[in-house]
Amino acid sequence: MATEKQRLMRKVQAEQFAVVEANLYLDSHPTCRNGLEYFETHKAAYEAAVKEYEEKYGPITLAGADCSKRWEWTSTPFPWERGES
Amino acid sequence: MWQYEKKLEYPVNIKNPNPALAKVIISQLGGPDGELGAAMRYLNQRYSAPCREVQAILNDIGTEELAHMEIVSAILYQLTRNLSIKEIKESGFDTYFVDHTTGIYPIAASGVPFTASIFQSTGDAIADMNEDLAAEQKARVTYDNILRLADDPDVRDPIKFLRQREIVHYQRFGEGLRMIQDMLDSKNFYAFNPEFDKK
Repeated sequence: MATEKQRLMRKVQAEQFAVVEANLYLDSHPTCRNGLEYFETHKAAYEAAVKEYEEKYGPITLAGADCSKRWEWTSTPFPWERGES
Repeated sequence: MWQYEKKLEYPVNIKNPNPALAKVIISQLGGPDGELGAAMRYLNQRYSAPCREVQAILNDIGTEELAHMEIVSAILYQLTRNLSIKEIKESGFDTYFVDHTTGIYPIAASGVPFTASIFQSTGDAIADMNEDLAAEQKARVTYDNILRLADDPDVRDPIKFLRQREIVHYQRFGEGLRMIQDMLDSKNFYAFNPEFDKK
C-alpha cells in the first residue's frame, strides 16, 4: 500500500515525466504549438506538485529546503531507500 | 551545471532481496551498454555538435541517463539489502562481495569494470549520431534480456520503464541525425565535417 507521501511523490514523478518527455520532443520540434502548450501545462502542474510535496514532506531541491533553523537537506532520506520513491 | 533532485525519475521499491539478479542487472550500470556509458557518451559528444537542437538532444538525454544510472543503482542497492553470508555464497554474489561488499560499483555482469573504451566521441556528428542510435538499441536488448531473467514484478516494473526510454531516445537521435543531414551537402553527406571543417 502506498503511503500519502508516496501518492504525492507519484504525482510529482508523473508531472516531471511529462515535462522531460516534452523537453526531449521539443528539442527536435522546437516550433510545435501543441508541444509547447503541453510543456507549459505540465510544467505548471509539476511546480505545483513539488511545492505541495516540499511543504508536507521536505525538500526535493535545495531551493525548496527551509534552512532557517536547521539543515533540512539531511533531515529526510535519500530516494534510493525502499519506500522513499 | 547540475542540481540534484531528491527523488527518482521512476519509483523503485523492492520487497525481496535477490543478489543473483543484482549480479546481472549491474551490467546496466557499468556494462558495455549501461547507463553510465550512455551518460558519458552523450555529455561528452554535446560540446562540438553542429547545431543547438542536436546539442540540446545530447545534453538533455545525457542528463536523463544520469537519472537512469540512479534508478539502476537503487535497484541494485535494494536487491542486496540484509543478506546473510549463506545467501551471498549460494547466490554466487560472493565474487562481487569479496571486492565491494554491498557497495555499488560500476561493472559489467562479467565482472569487467566500467571503461570509457565502450563509447566514442568522434567529433563527427554523423558518426556520433549513428553510434547513439546503436547504443539505444543495444541498451534496449540488454533490458529485454534482463526481463527474460527477472520474475519479480517489483524489479520488472522499473526495468520496463528504462527499456521504454531507450526507444524514445532512439527516436530523438533519429531526428537529430535527420537535422544534421539536412544541413549538409545532399549529394555527399561526407563532403565536410560540420564539427571541424569551415565551409
